[in-house]
Amino acid sequence: MIEVKAMMVGVVVRIDAGPGTAVAEDQPIVTLESMKMELPIPSPRAGRVREIRVQVGDVVQEGDVVALLEEQEE
Amino acid sequence: MSDWQEKLERLRAKRARFLQMGGPKRVARQHALGKLTARERLDLLLDPGSFVEIGLLAHHQSSHPDLKDKFTPADGVVTGYGTVDGRRVCVAAYDFTVLGGSMGEVGEGKVARLRRMALEWGVPMIWLLDSAGARIQEFTGSQFAKAGDLFREQVIMSGVVPQVAALMGHCAAGTAYIPALADFVPMVKGRSSMALGGPHLVKAAVGEDVDANELGGSRVHCEISGCADLEVEDDEACIRAVREFLSYLPSNNREKPPAIPCDDPPDRYIDDLTEIVPTNPRQVYDMRHVIRRIVDHGHFFEIKPRWARNIVVGFARLDGHPVGIVANQPLYLGGVLDVDAADKAARFIMLCDAFNVPLLFLQDIPGFLVGTKVERQGIIRHGAKMLYAVSEATVPKVTVIVRKAYGAGYFVMCGRGYEPDLLVAWPTAEISVMGPEGATNIIYRKEIAAADDPDRVWAERTAEFRKLIDPYIAAGHGYIDDVIEPGETRKVVIQGFRMAATKQVHRPWKKHGVMPV
Repeated sequence: MIEVKAMMVGVVVRIDAGPGTAVAEDQPIVTLESMKMELPIPSPRAGRVREIRVQVGDVVQEGDVVALLEEQEE
Repeated sequence: MSDWQEKLERLRAKRARFLQMGGPKRVARQHALGKLTARERLDLLLDPGSFVEIGLLAHHQSSHPDLKDKFTPADGVVTGYGTVDGRRVCVAAYDFTVLGGSMGEVGEGKVARLRRMALEWGVPMIWLLDSAGARIQEFTGSQFAKAGDLFREQVIMSGVVPQVAALMGHCAAGTAYIPALADFVPMVKGRSSMALGGPHLVKAAVGEDVDANELGGSRVHCEISGCADLEVEDDEACIRAVREFLSYLPSNNREKPPAIPCDDPPDRYIDDLTEIVPTNPRQVYDMRHVIRRIVDHGHFFEIKPRWARNIVVGFARLDGHPVGIVANQPLYLGGVLDVDAADKAARFIMLCDAFNVPLLFLQDIPGFLVGTKVERQGIIRHGAKMLYAVSEATVPKVTVIVRKAYGAGYFVMCGRGYEPDLLVAWPTAEISVMGPEGATNIIYRKEIAAADDPDRVWAERTAEFRKLIDPYIAAGHGYIDDVIEPGETRKVVIQGFRMAATKQVHRPWKKHGVMPV
């Protein structure tokens, strides 16, 4: 299980890939607003989203775990 | 006649015995670990029939009781030269089936000779590493006083001939510094590692319980430490990556990188760049899609793809000519530069400049990250490495401003002051020391605070600044060379590199600069 972490402080504006969704590497899982931009938190690997730990409107800090990813076996 | 027969048979028997490496059992074990043998790896790396081996018949000469009865064919490292795509290389393949590929005195003598040949002939030096490190029986004790010359020699070779260190097994100590000084370091996923001290040493020295992968596996070095360049699936993919890396570089720093015939039209108009890149600066996109549209046949060889992902670096070809690409990556952190991104870019720029590979910069840079965390990490010093590398680079440089070009980010990504041979902008370009909001907050802070309607004043002032951020202002002053349609990018950058192909830059004499590290 991979912990997907926020890369910087920001406000959650969108959940792009909810629990159970299969995601490719670099596919957005959660989108934050930060630095005047909508910044996706892309999936670090191909896999399946197991859990989303934030809700729209939450403020997250850098390093906060926003999702758990089950890595796809290659 | 019979004398000859006996002598030839003796030679043939010896050769056969040495070619068996560590023997069938250890070779089977190597295969069971999912690894190829040193000789199988060489077969994949080199053009068929091109390998000339040096030192097949070498073996250890130690009288250490532990080694006395041990046979070490080629002394654990297969060395020689051959060709890759018809171009000569020197290669040392450590043989894990012989005492764990440990570096012994005789074997290291062979590799030292090979390094000197690579340097004198002006050909790349390649290490295929699968080695436990120094053979402790031969080096423990104060005879160690003579060791260490290999790293000094690697430094002397740096920037003269390309150096590749492929990690194809678990390596520690000595074999971890070789990659540190090499120009390209692929790592086989899950089956390779490098650490200054291996797990046993770590346990003994600091009491930490950790396995080789957790300590210095491919994921650690390709995603966290940045010590390696590319995680590859298996030995075959590793060798393919080495061959491809070499295809972008000349054999030495006095040659140009090899061009190949190209049937991707140099003036190909790119229709869908306007679909990939949003005009709204709040929205992000994957810069690698932009790169793939521009380069020959959409093929981009990315270096360090999973480390410091907020900047993208790698090799591609434009009209058949190798080019190094440095591009901001809005998809990660909006493309903002931090300490690791600056290090990644600076080193790549130095590599390209050392080996005459032209550089293409694609800018979409909101600036450098600010705040206490990055200041304490020394962002000033790390950012300065990028300033240093891009200033020193005398290869042809072409810069395309895709969207944002803010502050020192514009400088380090080869803005006007860094002498690009061609500097063009898309109509979406925003060039400024900072964004309108930041400028308003700083300059009109007091006015806004004192206003009856602060929001209205803020909006007005911001709108005034926004009007000043316009590529046609920069073009009007002649500071940028042109504003181009995104679709014209391939054609324009290829023309830029063609124009600058004969570039010569003369700099004041110096021994060397003092690069901030």
